[in-house]
Amino acid sequence: MPELTYREAVRDALSRALREDDNVFLMGEDIAEMGGSMAVTQGLLDEFGPKRIRNTPISEMAIVGSGIGAAIQGMRPVVEIMYEDFLTLSMEQLVNQAAKHRTMSGGQVKVPLTIRTQGGAGWSPGAQHAQQLEAWFVHVPGLKVVFASTPEDVRGLLWSAIYDDNPVVFFEHRTLYPLKGEVPEELEPIPLGKARIHRAGEDVTVVATGRLVHDALQAAETAEGEGISVEVVDPRTLLPLDEETIVASVKKTNRCVTAHEAVVRGGFGAELAAVIQHAAFDWLDAPIERVGSKFAPLPFAPVMEQYVVPQVEDVLDAIRRTVARA
Amino acid sequence: MATEIKLPRLGQGMEAGTIVRWLKSEGDEVAKGEPLFELDTDKVTQEVEADAAGVLLKIVVPEGEASVGTTVALIGAADEEVSEFVAGAQGGNGDARAAARPVEDPPAENAALSADEQSEAGDGAPKGTRPQEQKAPSAAAPGAAAVEPPAAPSPVRAGCERVKASPLARRIARERGLDIAALTGTGPEGRIIAEDVEHASDGAVSGPPAAAPDDGGSIEIVELTSVRRTIARRLTEAWAAPVFQLSVTADASALSATREHMVELLREGETKPTVSDVLTRLVASALQRHPAVNALFVDGKIHRYGRVNVGIAVATANGLVVPVIRAADRESVLGIAAIRADLVSRAREGKLKLADLEDGTFTISNLGMYGIEQFIAVLNPPQVAILAVGSIADRPAAVDGSLEIRPTLTMTITCDHRAIDGSEGAEFLQTVKSLVESPALAL
Repeated sequence: MPELTYREAVRDALSRALREDDNVFLMGEDIAEMGGSMAVTQGLLDEFGPKRIRNTPISEMAIVGSGIGAAIQGMRPVVEIMYEDFLTLSMEQLVNQAAKHRTMSGGQVKVPLTIRTQGGAGWSPGAQHAQQLEAWFVHVPGLKVVFASTPEDVRGLLWSAIYDDNPVVFFEHRTLYPLKGEVPEELEPIPLGKARIHRAGEDVTVVATGRLVHDALQAAETAEGEGISVEVVDPRTLLPLDEETIVASVKKTNRCVTAHEAVVRGGFGAELAAVIQHAAFDWLDAPIERVGSKFAPLPFAPVMEQYVVPQVEDVLDAIRRTVARA
Repeated sequence: MATEIKLPRLGQGMEAGTIVRWLKSEGDEVAKGEPLFELDTDKVTQEVEADAAGVLLKIVVPEGEASVGTTVALIGAADEEVSEFVAGAQGGNGDARAAARPVEDPPAENAALSADEQSEAGDGAPKGTRPQEQKAPSAAAPGAAAVEPPAAPSPVRAGCERVKASPLARRIARERGLDIAALTGTGPEGRIIAEDVEHASDGAVSGPPAAAPDDGGSIEIVELTSVRRTIARRLTEAWAAPVFQLSVTADASALSATREHMVELLREGETKPTVSDVLTRLVASALQRHPAVNALFVDGKIHRYGRVNVGIAVATANGLVVPVIRAADRESVLGIAAIRADLVSRAREGKLKLADLEDGTFTISNLGMYGIEQFIAVLNPPQVAILAVGSIADRPAAVDGSLEIRPTLTMTITCDHRAIDGSEGAEFLQTVKSLVESPALAL
């Protein structure tokens, strides 16, 4: 199997869709000649030309808004919001327009729009260029929300997002772009709403998203040495959520840790905890632990950033707490 | 205006019942007199009929135990708003679920017990935090419970408010019938976690093995049904009575011959009498002549009865029941046969009504059909005597100085000595023997 970086995997899904389907086109800030601020779209302008790889003005509202219009007209646009922090500027279009048209028109209008964006700390970007805001969008009926953590997943899920007839907010993590991983020779679409069990275990389930999937896997290795068997599950799609897989896992292990880089308060882990406690109440042997960022604007100083953002050790501590004895 | 359906009192002394199953769902049309739900009392499971017509608007007590008089459902017009009604009904009765607490298990007592156990368990602990935590509610519990018992449909939950235990630990304890309050928690802050229950379960005689049994064996844990619980309680009570037994062997040839004659003369539609039926009739006559034996021992007083209501012990899949043949001394043998056949078939189907089981003044237990020669029956309190009947079989017997083979049967009476003396029991048994040997004397 070929090996691709997470960045190359995103690009591969985009170029295959662009190659196979004239309705697919890209819009975003500096995505053409510059190849995107994260270099994801490098080389696409050369192959597909300026009509399909379109630079936009610095207006997130316009980017998403024009994407909605094109989608309603039958195209499958993929728009890029350079940093997810800037999704705030497109909220009206996303929340009030994209998410609503299909139901408000009684199904006459579809919005097959993909909004790619990225974020994440670990490289001193400061408080305005590294937030993890995925939980906001999970709260909006009419949207789908994806957060991929591996090259294989990001490629297969992006393909499914492009070909979904609903607006999909597609989160990528900044620090995962260089991550290498094997991918199938042929692109295999991964259906939205299917979780992935990365590692099977018996004692505790860690439900992790984005970068924390990798931290959780590392923590699981260490825990294994302490005699704690950890199962790691990545929902991959946050909305719709694969409750079945997650609940089945917790029913097996009887303990659960949720882990994401977003702040704990009101984070996606809260939704997971609620779903799990309700569906598996009589199977829980310990309180559900939530791992996430401390409730603070992200500091610029690397040492402070590291303090605020969850690390492998934080996941490990949470795992240990769930199996703790007095 | 919706009608509140209350848990009925099906018989004297009934304080609570267990709703086993609803025969109607919310929203169903219900006619007056239609069976509404199945109610399990400590004696019998009975269908309870709706005493109002309309739509079953709300099932207030879905399943489980509830006290007599608790509103269990609301019947009214289809579009009626019942939410307020339900709130009111629950306020008036106390919380329906609170009322659902088993009667034998008063909350205050329970709370005190578990708190005591906890503080005892904590005495040896180096830190005083846990016993104190456990003790605090024990002071408040009896008073609070008297006013507003905490909602607790099962005894296991009674300790929930005070004992820290994980939901999984509680579930396992509930499934294995362990009292969670009696366990020691090893989780954070003394929380009882699943492993603690597994350990306790390992040690418990009644508990199944915690892990998959590797000896290949398995233990079946049988929860006591309401009927079984009653059997256990009443027969344990019976041991408190000082009893003595007397046995007599009678020649059964006349008894068998009488029955055979009756069978020969049987007409269309009549029930074929059994030996037991003839015996029931004969014993009823004997009881009429010996009122000391036809009695109940209640609250330190002997209640002697003029009427003779003979209970007959019937084995069913759910356990022993003793339906009663009323005024057996005034029934013909064929009449007794018909009543007995009806009672036994309904007993086996679990369809006896409470009235079928009440007011017995004496009990006959016959294991003759199993080939049992003789046995001792345990008293059926508050009755003061019970007759155990063995099999009729050809046995060697001394007749007028020579050895003959005769059909005989041995009967053993168990008497409550508080009410009956040996001579009274003996005289009764003598009468029974003479009636068995000459059934015509019962005329």
